[in-house]
Order: sequence, then structure tokens, then C-alpha cells
Amino acid sequence: MSEPESGTTDGTGPTAAVETNTADLNGTNSDLAVHLDGITKRFPGVVANDDVDLRVERGTVHALLGENGAGKTTLMNVLYGLYRPDEGRVVIDGEERAFDSPRDAIDAGIGMIHQHFMLVDPMTVAENIALGNEPTKWFGMAVDRDRIDREIRDLCDRYGFEVDPDATVEDVSVGVQQRVEILKALFRGADVLILDEPTAVLTPQEVEGLYDVLEELTDQGKTIIFITHKLEEATHAADAITVLRDGVSVGTVDPDRTDREALAERMVGREVILEADSDPVETGDTVLSTRDVTVEDDRGVEVVSGIDLDVRAGEILGIAGVDGNGQAELIEAITGLRIPDEGTIDYAGDDITAWSRRRRIENGMAYIPEDRQKRGLVMPFDLVENGVLGSQRSGRFASGGRIDWPGVRDHAEEIIETYDVRPPDANAAAQSFSGGNQQKFIVGREFERDPSLVVATHPTRGVDIGSTEFIHDRLLELRREGVAVLLVSSNLDEIQSLSDRLAVMYEGEFIDVTEPDAVTEEELGLRMAGQRPAGEADGQPNPGESR
Amino acid sequence: MPMRNSVHRARTALEQRPLAAAVGGVAAFLLVLWATPASWQTSTLRFAVPIALAAIGGIFAEKSGVINIGIEGLLIVSAFSAIVVVNRLGDGGATAGLPNLWWGMLIGVLVSVLFALLFAIVCLEFEADQIIAGLAVWLISLGLAPFASRILFDSPNTANITRFENVTVPVLSEIPFVGYLLFDTEPQVYLMLAGAVAGWYLLSRTTFGRWVVASGENPKALDTAGVDVRKVRYAAVLLSGVFAGLGGAGFGLGTLGTFAGTGDTVINGRGFIAIATYLLANYHPIGALLGSFLFAGLNSMQNGLQAAGYAIPTELIRTLPHMTVIVVLVFVGRTRLPDAAGDHYESGED
Repeated sequence: MSEPESGTTDGTGPTAAVETNTADLNGTNSDLAVHLDGITKRFPGVVANDDVDLRVERGTVHALLGENGAGKTTLMNVLYGLYRPDEGRVVIDGEERAFDSPRDAIDAGIGMIHQHFMLVDPMTVAENIALGNEPTKWFGMAVDRDRIDREIRDLCDRYGFEVDPDATVEDVSVGVQQRVEILKALFRGADVLILDEPTAVLTPQEVEGLYDVLEELTDQGKTIIFITHKLEEATHAADAITVLRDGVSVGTVDPDRTDREALAERMVGREVILEADSDPVETGDTVLSTRDVTVEDDRGVEVVSGIDLDVRAGEILGIAGVDGNGQAELIEAITGLRIPDEGTIDYAGDDITAWSRRRRIENGMAYIPEDRQKRGLVMPFDLVENGVLGSQRSGRFASGGRIDWPGVRDHAEEIIETYDVRPPDANAAAQSFSGGNQQKFIVGREFERDPSLVVATHPTRGVDIGSTEFIHDRLLELRREGVAVLLVSSNLDEIQSLSDRLAVMYEGEFIDVTEPDAVTEEELGLRMAGQRPAGEADGQPNPGESR
Repeated sequence: MPMRNSVHRARTALEQRPLAAAVGGVAAFLLVLWATPASWQTSTLRFAVPIALAAIGGIFAEKSGVINIGIEGLLIVSAFSAIVVVNRLGDGGATAGLPNLWWGMLIGVLVSVLFALLFAIVCLEFEADQIIAGLAVWLISLGLAPFASRILFDSPNTANITRFENVTVPVLSEIPFVGYLLFDTEPQVYLMLAGAVAGWYLLSRTTFGRWVVASGENPKALDTAGVDVRKVRYAAVLLSGVFAGLGGAGFGLGTLGTFAGTGDTVINGRGFIAIATYLLANYHPIGALLGSFLFAGLNSMQNGLQAAGYAIPTELIRTLPHMTVIVVLVFVGRTRLPDAAGDHYESGED
């Protein structure tokens, strides 16, 4: 695993603001932009934040690090006026405030950039930036579009953004959409920007760009609070890191005086092995192969263009790429959710191109879908019912149209126990579980089918470190048992450390297929952005032939 | 964001596409104009009133995320109550400074707004399914108007009233070819023309219009921008009541002069044709106006041919708008529903 920049004790703090960080992190006299003092927030049955202190100095990047469910987002929602704290004080610029709604927080100079962008896709960049705060002319009878454009241009000049105000949001890249969100906050006069998992949807290059933006913003006196569960990002971008665990603050640290292992331990509460161990395994016969598969999306646009791939028993083929480059449609064609327009798909010796989804499941194809809430679970159903989804006709659970509910229940409880789904309650509806626990349950259900092929898309997206480690271990275990695995992920660490071979997909084609160790993260990033490796100017590499 | 860009998402920007529909509508309108006798042209405009105004109302509701298929019912109650008011106040005179016909307009619109308010409360407070609630508005109106008519007039049909008279705009009515059509006509036609322009302006140029669009596409984005989605949706649905009320009352007082309550009532599916019209126009108010000319033109063509002795079944003519919509949706496929249309939105849910 190559990781050239992050995670060293001596640190390569990216910003000039490192010096400002020498102030005592627990001091009381420094210039605090935000001070959350003893915040407690309870929900029925849960204490989401328990007496949490957070001190954020003006002009710094402050990371809020913790696993999913640690209470990071709750804390920020308190700051943003979405929740009222049960106890504690919110102090902005030395003044105690009580926010009833985001409106109040916005007025106090706080802006939030949500993980899922709050943008209206068919409207223009300018309309989105001004939404809810439109300047008007003619006594309020018309939106003053010239003034919006002028103000956006001023902001872009000041912070070095390049954004076309007249572009439609759905036509610009995710990185630009994030800039639009930041501009939206600045347009409202925000001095403190809260970014919730800002890198989740970005390519490595876009992440670098984001770090530059953060630096520019702090240079101009803005304050950034940066929610993340990724250690690298916290150590890389932040001037100070506050770690949350189970709703409790476990301390604020200086990223230059700590290392990843110590941070991880603080975050999870136990020692964590950060790198998945993937010794090479002897590979067997080809389990899955596609030839010249071409797929059109719902709009009739060709999004997968002639993909050839082979996955052997006991190997993990990784497909890296920025979301939306055809991975989803390719996987849908392989799993039977979409019929390819051209090409053939062979599975264990059979041509399955036109097979139904059911037949594919019955023949041992397990599938961890990208969108667990839409495709992996029926949210209002309990785990007992969800546990039998896909196997509801198999002889193991059903006969003559009747389902063996006691057997199904045992099966669900087994998954819950083996895969450490919390809380361990098979009668609870799927929607009541956290994302990570939903994912563990799906992984468990799919792996327990005794598959010969596992198709896993973003298996650890939004899943905390502890569960990620577990899912990775299980994937590697299956591989050792001779299962073929097709892994799609936009998380480079994950895909590099797990894959035996790695394909990069860009605009429906494989740009490159390599050994994962043969490329650096930067090279991978460039390929994800469409740059072909030198000497391979044309033609698609076939991962089936690259060995 | 896995499904964000899939399924219904046409790539084109909001403003570009309705133009195509508008151009088609203009072409169709000119064709009808060229091919028909002047009496057909005038009746086309008068029959377009309920369709165009209800369609513009429907645009506001649906753009905000609330599909209001109850506009048929709003047309029924507003046409009926307007006629009742004029009948009770006396045909020709004036009461408290306002001519009775305009009192009829006002009350007709208010009754429509009241029904729209009930619909909005049921959808926004009690999270009822919008389609079912909309059907309920139609079915209630369909029963209530003839029922009230029976009580008041002892018949499902109301008495006749004296209709709006022509108002001739000096100078403008002299414009060749269109002057006599657009500027020598009845008040409800002027209202329709002004309503379409006002609807377009409100939707595309004002803050409120931008909020309506955001509320129907991504209510959460609007909510986090500090705008109350519920208020925007209430306003949009009430506005659909205003427009549909103007359409129904104007149609009753200007075009019909009486309310026939038998069968599907004299409104006779015009509210549903209005829905077809705005889908065809891809939610563009001006496009909806032009589309209503097309469907009203078919209506007056059928009447004209019938008078001339060629009987085309009404039923066939009535299916045409809906057939057209199906053809357009299938073969052009560019009408793009607002992303959050039909979904309830609750602030603060994650």
C-alpha cells in the first residue's frame, strides 16, 4: 500500500496555518470563533453527545474525527441550529447564542456544507448560490440577477474559484458542485464553515483542490470545521483534531504531535490494524468473464463501452473510478439488473447474459449493492424478513410456497451474531439501524449464501473503521476459500490494498489494468481523471489478458 | 448519490425545452387560425379560458412538489358558485359598488381557494397521498355542485345569467389579423392572457418562483437555505386555487352563462385536459396558454362541424388531449417532472 504523504508523526501539515496552532489547545484566552461548552444532546434511548467541549480558533481548520455514530453530525447540527442542546452553551465570537433554526445560525455567520449537497440540480449555479437569500429589485418584484452575478464574481476572485454562474448544476462536476456549496455559504456571509465528510465524493485530485480552497479560506480569516472519519484527511488538512467516541469527546490533539495508529486507537477505543493483509492466493478457474459488454443507461446514452474482464476463483478484481463512469451500469449488467445492449457475460461456464436475477442468485452470485437502502434492504421490514431476501424461494427456507419462518429467524440471528450487527435485535426494522450496521447485515446475508462470486460495490462506504476492518477481513477470507470477488470502490486505499488486479474505469472504458502495487495513488488519481498510462495511448487493456 | 442522475432526468436546462413546446403550440394555433372561420376562432379563445388558467394553476402546485389533480373540481365549484352569486344578486345591477358579475368572479375564486386550502391541509399537514386527495376534491365537487343546484334551483342545472359583454380596446383592436381576436373580446379572455404572462413572470423572475421550483426539485436544499418549504407549498397550492378559480368563474360567467350539473358537469374534464396541457408545455405558463388554444380549438372545431351537419363524436374529441400527451410523453419524452413531485416533505428528517 503506497501512501506517500499521510500519516507520519512528523507530519506534512499542508497549510501555513500550522504556526497558529502552537497556541495551547486547551487554553481559554485564545481567539475562539466557536466554543461549544459542555454540550449534551439526548435522543430517546441514546445520548448522542455527552458533555462535549469543542474550541475552534479563528482562522484554523479544525477536524472533528470519529466513527459513524460517534456524534459528530449531531454536534454540528447543534451548532447549525438544527437541534437544541439539552445542556451546554454555544458561544460564537465570545457571545452566547441560542439557535432555533438554521436561519439563526446563518445569521450568526455559520455555514454548513452537507455531505449530500443541498443543490437544486436543474437550476443554475447562480440561482443555487442565492437560493433563499435572493437580492431583489423593483420593490421585491424581481430577482436582481445582475447583482447575484456580480457578488459571485467578487467571491470567486477573492478566493480563487473558477465557477460559471450560468452553468446548470447537474452539468458540472461533483468538485464544482462542492465549490458551489462553499460559495453558497460565503454568499450568506459565513465566517465559520462546517464541512460534513467533504471528501467522500471527490477524486484524489479534487481532494487536493479542496485542501487548497480550505487554505485560501483560512488565510482570509475564515474558520473551518471539518467532519471526517478518515484519519488521513484529519492529519493532512487540520490544524487541530478533536476526536469523538460514543458521543464523548476523547480529547483534542495536535496532528503534528500524534500518529495515525494512536489516533485510530483513540477513535475506536482499541488497537486497529489499519492495513488489510492480502497475501497472494493461488487462483483457480475463471468464474466470471465478460466480452465486449456495452450498456446504455436509462437515457439511452452508452455508458459502458465494450468491457472485457475476467475474474478467477480466489482473486479480487478491483474496479476503481470516479462515480458515474459506468461502474454502476456494468455491475447491473453482471448482476442481472440491466440487460447489456451488446456483448456476453459468462459465469462458471454458462452464458448468463440473458439470465434472470433470480437464476443468477440461485447459481451462487452474491451482490452487495451500492445503495444499501434502496437495493439492499426493504427499510420498513425487520431483519428477519430482510435476511431471507433473495433466498425466499430456496429450498433452505421455503417449500411449496411457504416460508419456514423459524428457520429464517435463526438465520437472521446467526448473521446478526456473526457479523456483529448492533443492536442485536432481529425484530427491529432495517431503517432503525445505523448505516454501518445495515451494511454489516447485508454483507452477512450475501456472504452466507455460500457464493462462488461476490460482486461488491462500495462495500464500506459510510461504514466506520471497525466495521470496515471486519468487512475487509471477511472479503479476504472468502478469497482464500476460492471465491471470485469483483470489487467496485472509489476509495483508493481500500481498492489498492484488497485487489489482486486493479482496473480503472473512465467514461465507460477501462483506462488501465495493473497490479495495485505498481501504481501510486497519484497515478491512480490521474487515470481516474481519464489520463491513460504512458505507452498505452490507445486500445483497451483487458484484465483477462494482462497476466 | 447513486440514482441522482438517472431515470427522469433530462439533461437540458429548465428554460430551453418549453420553448420547443411553445413554438409547436404557436404553429398549431396559427394553423387553426388560418383554417377556421372567425366564429370558431373567437369560441376557441373563450373555450381556452378554463383550460389555460387551470393549467397555469396546476403548474404552480406541481412545480412546488404538490400534484394537484383536483383542479377539475376547483373549476366545477368556482364556475358554479360564481353563477349562483350572480343569479342571487341579480343579473344586471351592481351591489356595493361592484357590478354583480365581478362579485361572482370574486366569490368563485374564493370558493376555489377554500377548496385548494382544504386540499393543501390534507396533503401538507396530514401527509395524505396527493393523487387520492386530488381525486377526492374532484369527486366532492362533482357531487356537491349539482346537489347545491338541486336545492337552489330544483334542478342539477342552474338558471341562466347575463354573461360578460365584449370589451373593445381602442386602437389595439385595429391591429390586422389578431386585433379583433385579442383586443375585442370578453373580460375572461383578457384575464387568461394577463394570467399567462403574470404566471410566467412570477415563476421565472421572482424570488417566490425560484422557491417554488426549488421546493419541487429538492425541498431539503430550500429548507437548509432557510426557507420554509411548507409555506412555499401552501402558497403554491393556494395560487393554483386562484388561477383555477379565475378559469372556472370566468368560464361560467363569460362563456357559459349557466351551469349544467348533469354527468361530468359542464366542466366536463377540462381540468384534466389542463393537466395534459401543462405536461405538454413542460410547465411553461405561456406554453400552457398556447397548448390550451390547441385543445380548445379542437373543441370549437367539433362544435362548428356539428353545426354544419358533420357529426364528430364529442367523446372522440375529448380523448384527443390525453392521446396527445401520451404520444408526446412516449415519443418526445422530454417532459420532466419535478424530482420531488408527489413526495411529502418533513423538515428535520434525515
